[in-house]
Order: sequence, then structure tokens, then C-alpha cells
Amino acid sequence: MFRTVFSKQMYDERRRLLMWGVSTGLVGSMMMFLWPSMRDMPDLDQFLANYPQAMRDLFNIEAITSVAGFLNAELFSFLLPGLFLIFGITRGAALVAGEEEAGKLELVLVTSIPRVRFALHKVAALTVSIVALAVMIFLFVWVSGLAVDAGLPTGELAAGMTSVMFLGLEHGLLAMAVGLLTGSKTWATGVASAAAVGGYVLYAAGKFVDAVEPFQVVSPIYHALESGPVGGGFPLIFLLMPLVGVIALAVALPRFDRRDIGV
Amino acid sequence: MDGKAISETVTLDPTSVSDPASAAIRTVALSKTYGRTIGLDSVDLTVPEGLVFGYLGPNGAGKTTTIRLLMGLLRPSAGSATVLGLDVATNRERVQAQVGYLPGDFAAYPDLTGMQYLTYLGELRGGVDRAHITGLSERLGLDLTKKVGSLSHGNRQKVGLVQAFMHSPPLLVLDEPSSGLDPLVQREFLSMVREARAAGRTVFLSSHILAEVEAVADSVGILREGRLVIVESVESLRKKALRRLELTFEREVPAEALAAVAGVKDIQVDNRTALLIVEGSTAELISVAAPHGVANVRTLEAGLEQIFLSFYGEED
Repeated sequence: MFRTVFSKQMYDERRRLLMWGVSTGLVGSMMMFLWPSMRDMPDLDQFLANYPQAMRDLFNIEAITSVAGFLNAELFSFLLPGLFLIFGITRGAALVAGEEEAGKLELVLVTSIPRVRFALHKVAALTVSIVALAVMIFLFVWVSGLAVDAGLPTGELAAGMTSVMFLGLEHGLLAMAVGLLTGSKTWATGVASAAAVGGYVLYAAGKFVDAVEPFQVVSPIYHALESGPVGGGFPLIFLLMPLVGVIALAVALPRFDRRDIGV
Repeated sequence: MDGKAISETVTLDPTSVSDPASAAIRTVALSKTYGRTIGLDSVDLTVPEGLVFGYLGPNGAGKTTTIRLLMGLLRPSAGSATVLGLDVATNRERVQAQVGYLPGDFAAYPDLTGMQYLTYLGELRGGVDRAHITGLSERLGLDLTKKVGSLSHGNRQKVGLVQAFMHSPPLLVLDEPSSGLDPLVQREFLSMVREARAAGRTVFLSSHILAEVEAVADSVGILREGRLVIVESVESLRKKALRRLELTFEREVPAEALAAVAGVKDIQVDNRTALLIVEGSTAELISVAAPHGVANVRTLEAGLEQIFLSFYGEED
């Protein structure tokens, strides 16, 4: 039925992926269907002016009068980054450290599969899962956009999805790397979550506190969201996200190859 | 019986010190520490090919640590382990490919059926004959269509056993293999072990239950607090075993004559009954006692428990 660690993992992920993809996709669709009434709202500018300045900055509310700005405010500034972070971190921690803690890894590793190859299959499964999730949500939003004649350029939506997908992937790979290093799901989840929360706090604080602003640039959230992300094209800074994940893996893999495997 | 524990490794079995090249398992000063805790303390062990070797010791003695070191799941803190002529540290995958391993405690993927799980592990090994999986499962009475998550402990253990035997490896390393098996299945398992030996394969099995090892093993190693205290053939252990014998006489107990018999370690007389502790054969004792009119003989079969006692001392 499955011949590789990768195909076994994708089999395990199938229901979860479908559930995440459809439920998040439906939220995206709902937002898209709300857009025409928002667009046609009289005095929208005046209504938005009543929002506190900090909210307007953080959620980029001024731009809400365009469909790209609307999606950025409603989906891409918090909801989708948050969901991709949660998905990436929980799955990244579960795929290796979770199995190790549950005692499932031992019989797989003694089949004489090289440990690094095993880990790379898990990396591939995590990556494909996150990409599949992004594609599903993209399709929901894109089709809904066509249905309401939102006039949203496909490339702009794709850029937004790429940014949150990379954000989830970066933290998912970080969680997996910590799991490979320690064998502990708690550590894997903890370190990656701390990085995500820290990144968000740094990004948000940078918006309001001038002294923090120069440090925003190290925040993964900044890398993901600063361009828009919908409507900002595909800036090179996007690539920093997968790159950080790959570096974390490169540090973890040799150690995983040599360390004791827990029961 | 002086009650003294033997602290040095004693290798009395001539087959266990044979040419290392033909050894299925060989460890040299193999040690494992966890922080400040010593899991295994400088174990030198040689298991010749084609033998069933019982690895005995109480829980926490270091049996599982040894086994996980042999499988390359742990790295030794000091010393080395060689399996089928290959150093485990540098040839981990090649060793694993040739060993069938049953962990003492393992979790399978609960949402897979037994067959899905076993074929998956088989695929990772490069393919295993499904008919062989089915055959082994039928012997053990395992239903392969059920999800592993719904199986009882005993049935999960069967999945583990099939997994260990399914690629017909030259060496089987089994950690507490009969845990959770009912007596009939246990008997079937023991015959699988004997068949493996008959086919020239080596079986290394650990247990804290002495009787099950005694039933199948050629040699045993006894581990205590991370140290290997003895390696010896089951046969010669039995010869050295202390037996308890209760002789009831029709007349007075010939205590002096009995005490003079070689092998008699202790004699206690209570009225017309003598309670004797004898090392090895009791034949001479019986022939000395017989002319004095023996009314009844009660003997306690030498189990490895008693052998344990002779090495560990009565205080254990």
C-alpha cells in the first residue's frame, strides 16, 4: 500500500489535510463573498477612519478599499499566518519527535533505512502537506473571487498564499529540526512557537515603537507580511523563510544520525 | 552456600569463548551511562552463531540497554559491539538489515491493519514475502485484517514477533518476547525459536522469567545491576544447581553417612526426615540412603531461580 516513509506519512495526513484545507478554504471563500458588500458600502473611508490608528497600521486598514487590501486585512495579516503557523508547528513536531515519544520510531528505524533518509522523507511529507494546504485554500479563494467578480489578479493571490505557506514551512521545519535534535515534542513545539510569537511581537511592536523598527527585519512575520502580502508581488525576502528552515535542518540532521533514539 | 555474589565476569562455557569471527554477537567492555546513572557497565559478551542465548536478569539490570546498543539505537558510552562480524557503530544499517528485532515495548501505527503495518516495515527492508507474513501470523493466531490499535497487548506482541521473523534474518534479538502471550502461543513461539536454531540462525532473547529461557536456551548470561555476572550453558548450570531434597526414613536418619556424600552442602534433621541441599547429581546420595529404608523422597526440581540463588546468595 505504501512503500516509503513519505507515502505512509501522506496517507496519514490525508484526512487532516482535507479538514484543514476545506475549513480554512471556506473561511477564505466567505471573506471573498463579503467583499462586494464591503466594496459597495457607502462612506467606507469614513467608517475606517473611526478605527484606532494602531489597528489601521497593523491590519493595513487604509488599503481595505481595494480587494487586495481587503484580503490582506481580513485573511493575510493574522488568520492565515496564524493557521499556517499552527499547522506547520504541530505537524513538524509530530512527524518525528511525536512518533519517537510514542515509541513508534524504533521499529521503523531498525528496518535499516538510513536515519537521514528517513528524516528527509518526513521533511518532504511536511513540505508537501503545507503546499497542498496552500493550494487548497488558494483554490477556494480564487474560485470565490471569480464568482463574485472581485477582479483579483491571480498572481497577487498566489503571492499572498506563497508568503503564508513559506511562513508555515519555516516554522514547521524549525519544529521538525528541534524534534530531530532532542526527540522531544514539547521542545519542538515550544521552540517553534516561541519563535513565532516572538516574531509576531517584534513585527507588531516595530509598527508602533520607532526604537524597535530596525529589528523588525529579523522577524519571519516581517518577511512574510511586509510586502502586503497580497499585491506585493514575489519579493526575494520570501526566500529567507524556507532558507531559515533548511539551515535549521542542516544543523539537526547530523546530530539525529548519531544520537540515541528514545523509546 | 556462602551467599557471596560473584562480581567478576565468569566465563565457564567453552562454547562461549570460541573464535570471535564466528560469533553472532560480541561486545567488548560495552558500557552505557545516562547522566550519572550506569545502565551497562563494561560488558564482555560473546554469543556464538547458531545458539539460542538467554539474557537474564531482573528488571532494570540492563537487558534492554544492551539490546538497544546491539541494534544501534543507542550509542555506547564506552566499548564496542560487533554483530555478525560488523561493528554496530560504523555499520549500523548493515547490521539492522540482518537482524530481526523485537523491542521490549513498542508502539505500532494504530490506524493500520496488521498486514498494512507489516508490509510497510517489509517494504522499508526492501520487500518481504507476504505469504511468509501470513504463514507466521497463522502460526501465532494473529488476525492481520484488524487494525493494530484495536489489538490486545498479546496480539500486538504477535505483530512484533512476526515483524522480527518475517525477513528470515540470521540473527534474532528479542526483548522479553513472550510477554503477554498465552501459554499455547508461547509454546508455538518456542518452537519457532527452535526451528530458527535448527536452520542455523542465532537467537538472543532476554527475559526476567527464568523458566521460559530455560525451556529453549543453550546458554545464558546473567546480568545484574549493569554487570554480566556469568555466562554458562544451561546444561552445566543445571549440573551445578543446588537442589533441595527431603528424605523420610523408616528408621533413624543416617545423618553422618548422608553428610559424607560428595555434593551434599547442608543437612538438617527433623525427627525421621532429612532436608538436604545437594549440588549437582543426587544419584550417589540416593544409593547411600536406600539401605537405611527410605520411606519417601521429595525433590524440588532445579529451576534457574535456584541457580540464581547460588550465584546471588540467599539474601536476594
